[in-house]
Amino acid sequence: MKRIERVVILGANGAMGAGSGETFAAAGITTTFLARDRDKAERGRARAVSMAKSEAISRYIRTGGYEELPAAVAEADLVLEAVGEELPLKRQFFDLVERHRREDSIVATVSSGLSMAAMAAGRSESFRRHFLGIHLFNPPNVIVGTEVVPQKDTDPALTAFVIEFLERRLGRKVIETSDTPAFAGNRIGFKVLNEVAQLAAEHGVLYLDTLLGPHTGRAMAPLATIDFVGWDIHRAIVDNLHAHTNDEAHAAFALPGYMARLAEAGHLGNKTPERGGFFRQVPAAKGAAQEGGGQGLWVLDPARGEYRPAAELATEPPEIVRRMKALHRVGRYREALGLLLTTEGHDAELMRRVVLGYVSYGLGRVGEVVRAVRDVDRIMGFGFNWAPPGLLVDLCGARPVIEALERLRLPVPRCLVDHAERGQRLFTEPFVDAGRFFHG
Amino acid sequence: MTPPPVYILGGYQTDFARNWSKEGKHIAALIREAVEGALEATGVEPREVEVGHVGNFAAELYAMQGHLGAFLVDVDPAFAGLPTGRHEAACASGSIALLAASAEIEAGRYDLALVVGVEQMKTVDAKLGGDYLGTAAWYEREAKGVEFPFPKLFGRLGDEYDRRYGLKDEHLAHISAVNYANAKKNPLAQTRNWYMSEEHACARGRYNATIGGRIKISDCSQVTDGSVAVLLASPRFAETYARRRGRTIESLPRILGWGHRTAPIEFDAKVAESRQSPYVLPHTRQAIVDAFRRAGIAEVWQLHGIETHDCFTTSEYMAIDHFGLTQPGESWKAVEEGVIELGGRLPINPSGGLIGAGHPVGATGVRQLLDAYKQVTGTAGEMQVPGARRFATLNIGGSGTTSCVFVVGN
Repeated sequence: MKRIERVVILGANGAMGAGSGETFAAAGITTTFLARDRDKAERGRARAVSMAKSEAISRYIRTGGYEELPAAVAEADLVLEAVGEELPLKRQFFDLVERHRREDSIVATVSSGLSMAAMAAGRSESFRRHFLGIHLFNPPNVIVGTEVVPQKDTDPALTAFVIEFLERRLGRKVIETSDTPAFAGNRIGFKVLNEVAQLAAEHGVLYLDTLLGPHTGRAMAPLATIDFVGWDIHRAIVDNLHAHTNDEAHAAFALPGYMARLAEAGHLGNKTPERGGFFRQVPAAKGAAQEGGGQGLWVLDPARGEYRPAAELATEPPEIVRRMKALHRVGRYREALGLLLTTEGHDAELMRRVVLGYVSYGLGRVGEVVRAVRDVDRIMGFGFNWAPPGLLVDLCGARPVIEALERLRLPVPRCLVDHAERGQRLFTEPFVDAGRFFHG
Repeated sequence: MTPPPVYILGGYQTDFARNWSKEGKHIAALIREAVEGALEATGVEPREVEVGHVGNFAAELYAMQGHLGAFLVDVDPAFAGLPTGRHEAACASGSIALLAASAEIEAGRYDLALVVGVEQMKTVDAKLGGDYLGTAAWYEREAKGVEFPFPKLFGRLGDEYDRRYGLKDEHLAHISAVNYANAKKNPLAQTRNWYMSEEHACARGRYNATIGGRIKISDCSQVTDGSVAVLLASPRFAETYARRRGRTIESLPRILGWGHRTAPIEFDAKVAESRQSPYVLPHTRQAIVDAFRRAGIAEVWQLHGIETHDCFTTSEYMAIDHFGLTQPGESWKAVEEGVIELGGRLPINPSGGLIGAGHPVGATGVRQLLDAYKQVTGTAGEMQVPGARRFATLNIGGSGTTSCVFVVGN
């Protein structure tokens, strides 16, 4: 019987490494944090303690530099790689892991989108049978949605065991995805985010984040989300998808030119507060000195590559936004989404295009990236904290959604048509309050 | 004359991990979600509901909103004209609403009652929230100008145990760890993804600071937004309801017994009054005895589990001997022997209780009854006590002031 009692984290000083390590240590599993040197690994331990808000998890964490990798890997049941998101670097580490691992140990990567097949290529049969992706979302101690990504040689029994372990022991909400670019969550999510970034060139940043804010079923507005994720990460994900997928969303994965230019100039979102991203917080004194006055929130003008105070740009939110938020505020979610489907005018049309485009693209991945609607719903709900596509369909009604997709000339996913014929509920995840996704 | 039994048809609990202020929600949304959820879960038609009761502690303070009964009418057009009211007894508000609804059914006024417990607490910071909670004590004498008055009051409950019988903090830490562990099995618990261990609960320091006296953060229940609705029915409605679902009325759980007592509001007065009693809170003990008598229960071991009011670990410690699991002052024995754990002889708070599941003050009593319902109908999922047929709840308002007990079973 397989067991996971000893885990090694490679790259344990980074956000994903320390966060992943915390989830294992918090479950009482002995976890060795390895990094370039012991000091860095200790910083990872400190991050994990701070995430758990408890010194008590420290007893489950050992630390060391990579010189300790051979001994640590030799006794590990699971080696989780969380080094930089570059294939050659990851392959270097897998060389070392392969040399020192036990024949029955599991090797996994937290990669958010690189090809599992490319990582496994050229490895021994034992390695390939025991190798798969465990994609946790950042921060792993808060976001429980998890993708497990086997490659063609992964032992199916091992995949099933890992999923069971992650769910039962670590309390994760897991889906299995195919080894396709960016897997399920990021492919569906970043299609929406990049599409909104493209639209921002024409419609403006503030307008789009207002139009497609939390009332459309997400914890954070799309462009603010890209700033939060970081423009470099965003670029890596959409470039990968643009290069390696060719479906109806191909054009939506093209990074807008203004983003490419600004990213080159060091505008990477919240991680570069001086330069900012779509938004920039200007402290009082600097605002006065550098920008000709006006501290507080500044907003990017994509056409000019310049920032202007939000206060100067702010206008009344569109009527449909105001009405949807008022309905969400008192728990009338169905009625709010009814407005999304039925309201006329440019604002509603744009909102429909993006929100129903998400439903169409998300459900369209069933059969390609994941097996069932439940998988798409699970990862968008628990990984992105977005209203799952199936839930949006249930609240709007399958028939009206199909009709709206046809009007918008967006693909109508097969599973949606089947569902409409059966008349059952599409969203099946238990114990999820629909209302938690819709902000007033 | 024996009153007719009151049946429980089921209900709905919102996810206690949510922060409804961050979601930009009015308390009306909390009420609506619970009611819509309860109607769907039970298959009851809105037009069948004859009366509505809301339990809530302090919406006027937390949400600047009173008159909560009126918000029920807003949920469905069929509720137009529905008689409603709101009930308040601090943390026991939910149970008081249940008592009022069940009394009306017993009296034959109505056949089907909707009971909602609700509290939205994350509208204010912890300190101000602590001050609001102070109004559940004698505010002017016990809470005004005191930072976090309730942890201090329940710390003194522990001190009183210590003085009379001796009390070790490790036993309190174990109670906390059990509740957090149970909460991990409860998909609606606020702390289901939080880290906790006995070692952490025993530690005092940066991540487990002292809040008042012997009470540390890990000894405390949570600040929670939440709403719970249940439907209570007369035998007449229950008969029809069971038949249309292809069941017998005997398969529906009912309230087998209840107890309701009120002690002096000031903590010092309670302690002074109980000096001659082996029980530190004799009125709480009496509420339990009353409920047992009405339910025809001779001793606690006829129960299969308890959902108790662990607003602090000391209150669960008190509940253990007051329910009769041990002799007065010997609660630690049940803690050490694992009696109260899932899998133990008499599990307490399989839901995680107020510490693990969360404590939206006015909703707690209703949540306890709904969890007891889930247990005796075998629908409690991972937190199920195998074979449970009889469950009790204890809901307390103030520093042991208002005590409400229900015994639920088939």
